[in-house]
Amino acid sequence: MAWAGAELIRRMADGDADACGAFYDRYARLAYPLIMRIVRDAADAADVLQEVFWEAWQAAATYDPARGSPEAWIVTRARTRAIDRLRAVRRRGETFVAPLDEAVASAPAERGGDAAERAADRTAIEGVLGRLPEAQREVIELAYFGGLTQTEIAERLKEPLGTVKTRMRLGLERLRDAMKATS
Amino acid sequence: MSHEPFETQAPAYALDALDDDERAQFEEHLARGCDACAAALREFHETLADAAGDLTPTVPPAHVKAALMRRVAASGGRRASSRRWRTMRWAVGTAAAVVGVSAFVAGLVASRYEARIGVMARETATVRADLRAQEAALRERLGVAQTVVGLLRDPATRIVALRGLDPTPTATGRVVWHERTGGHMFVANLPQPPAGKAYELWTITGGRPRPAGVFTVDMSGRGSHPVAPSAGPVDVFAVTLEPEAGVPAPTGPMVLASARQ
Repeated sequence: MAWAGAELIRRMADGDADACGAFYDRYARLAYPLIMRIVRDAADAADVLQEVFWEAWQAAATYDPARGSPEAWIVTRARTRAIDRLRAVRRRGETFVAPLDEAVASAPAERGGDAAERAADRTAIEGVLGRLPEAQREVIELAYFGGLTQTEIAERLKEPLGTVKTRMRLGLERLRDAMKATS
Repeated sequence: MSHEPFETQAPAYALDALDDDERAQFEEHLARGCDACAAALREFHETLADAAGDLTPTVPPAHVKAALMRRVAASGGRRASSRRWRTMRWAVGTAAAVVGVSAFVAGLVASRYEARIGVMARETATVRADLRAQEAALRERLGVAQTVVGLLRDPATRIVALRGLDPTPTATGRVVWHERTGGHMFVANLPQPPAGKAYELWTITGGRPRPAGVFTVDMSGRGSHPVAPSAGPVDVFAVTLEPEAGVPAPTGPMVLASARQ
């Protein structure tokens, strides 16, 4: 179905607002759970979601189907924007309140933890990621959902950097191979 | 091409987990045209998109789409066939039919009405043209306002003050600026540029000015201008007086500039 998404992006590049609506209908439900998983706050996630699709509308002409599927295009944007927001929230936290990201990262329950949010928190251990060995899953999640670099992850886990690098690579390769096998 | 350290880094790059120096080296390697790494990266991005699709579904709030579509409409996106346009066509069609019938009846009944109808038709056309111009102006202002509100929602957005320099010391300006998505500049108290001239905005990065568009000001000395994102972090915004077509590098006097970031 990637061709249908690519066609919508092409029409968006032509300024077709209806195509933008259809593109949103098709891909918002892919982007939103990821954004929610990263920023962990419904109001922030809604803002980021709108930004992501607004940018997609503006950048539609730069989409090149040869460089990736519409899914990867929108997911990469969603992840980048969500991490930007997460970092901004952490900076605010450091500036005005108390040090540190753990407070933010562990806060979803207090920050209006409705059923949807709790579900979003659980998602990490569901699905394909959940089938990875715990140690590999952990480093991938800290990087992808938490926006940490390999060095930061090594510091946090008190593991050698080389170990973190290996786990990350093996984990993602394994994920890739699992995806290939199912598709 | 030495490929050795890089092939193991593609997964971490896809996860955006490389430290700055490693990331820069990896990007340089990619930029040199390593097809194997580019292909590996594509695969990992697709893998991550698949993994995102595997998260527990959460329904996005409905207001997001509504707000997005308003923004898209304001930015000039057209709808294939919106109710608005259908209504407009109906109204214009009806008006045309009324005018047509009126003219026909008038012609039949008495020729002295014709002149009067002609005057009314011309008046109607003038009013219509005025309304269209006003609507376009309002839409443009609304678009700017929405863009700025959108920018201000993002905590990464900064407000950069521009100060008037020697030729125009009372001029002021602000740039609502987001490094990644660009922003919008507003100026006040700038004199109208002389004939054949316009103001040109520059984004200066590492001492190198890049042209960021020409603009002009209204009778009251106000103006606004969208600013596209620059290739690198912007140190200084500056405005110079230039030939109205714009120039690739500044030549005229500088009228406004921001303090160094």
